Amino acid sequence: MALQLAVESRNLQGKRNSRRLRHSGQIPAILYGHGLECVPLSVASDVLSAAIRHGSRLVQLTGAINESAFIRELQWDTWGTHIVHVDFTRISEHEIVEIRVPVELRGEAPGVREGGVVVQLIHEVEIACPASAIPEKIDVNINHLALEQSVTLASLELPEGAKLTAGDPEDIVVHCIVPVEMPEEGAEAVPGEPEVIGAKAEEGEEEKED
Amino acid sequence: MALMPKRVKHRKSQRGRIRGSASRGNRVVHGDYGLQAMQGGWLSAATLEAGRIAAQQYLRTEGRLYIRVFPHKPITSIPLETRMGKGKGEPEYWAAVIKPGTVLYEVSGISEEAARMCFTRLAHKMPVRVRFLRRRPV
Repeated sequence: MALQLAVESRNLQGKRNSRRLRHSGQIPAILYGHGLECVPLSVASDVLSAAIRHGSRLVQLTGAINESAFIRELQWDTWGTHIVHVDFTRISEHEIVEIRVPVELRGEAPGVREGGVVVQLIHEVEIACPASAIPEKIDVNINHLALEQSVTLASLELPEGAKLTAGDPEDIVVHCIVPVEMPEEGAEAVPGEPEVIGAKAEEGEEEKED
Repeated sequence: MALMPKRVKHRKSQRGRIRGSASRGNRVVHGDYGLQAMQGGWLSAATLEAGRIAAQQYLRTEGRLYIRVFPHKPITSIPLETRMGKGKGEPEYWAAVIKPGTVLYEVSGISEEAARMCFTRLAHKMPVRVRFLRRRPV
């Protein structure tokens, strides 16, 4: 069941009013989609932050408007600590939505015991799935990941009805590789000057002028 | 070896001003945890390298370190006891321009505790205030 989110309608718009709204503990939001008109809303910041933290994407808006909605986009401040704005889109339960879902590793790779290091190259995947079955995350079991082995996008276990919409199936999600040791202080050399683009051409022109 | 560009359009650049905070490069992208600058400033290639070595010595062969900034800016200086004038000085070192909020380093493949320890060591080398950062929810 979708999380219930109490929203209020928002008449005052613009950056000054939005800033005041944020100071009062609310976050400006907007609801759109299905060819209907956009509705400016506001939502309590603590409730929304908790919902985001728990991975909720589908919400039931209550209060000023009663509709099920999907959290389409979040805007964060520079520090990535506070949500600045949220976009909701109208949605029906069986509608197919495109969404980015985090990929999380589960277990311990045997390759690590052989001296390898597990490197996750893809942290989010874009999938299309019914709105009622949006997964919170996609788990990747790495209990069988030996040294020099990898897990590709094609071998991800997606929930029923979901399919990948972006990325090559052969793209590596996680692999276990032998770590490359970086050179330490001893290897330091005095760097020269970089090549200046067009420097020679200028000199050539000067010669012609002379 | 300290980082520097391979090719440049101009040998010297004007100083410029650091205005506003970072609106890009301000979230953890490659790793699991990051080190975010809380102040703006210039981060020299030598400092960046010192930070890398400090982190690498802690990590050894575990985990992976990512450097998210690059020293693109040539910083010039005039020699000591030189009279004023006679033009701009010669390039002395390379620096990365850091806006508040920029993620400087990232690390992956280690626990949060280890990442905190690693970045604590690294933070001592930094000329700006920094803080530990986790990956933002999608």
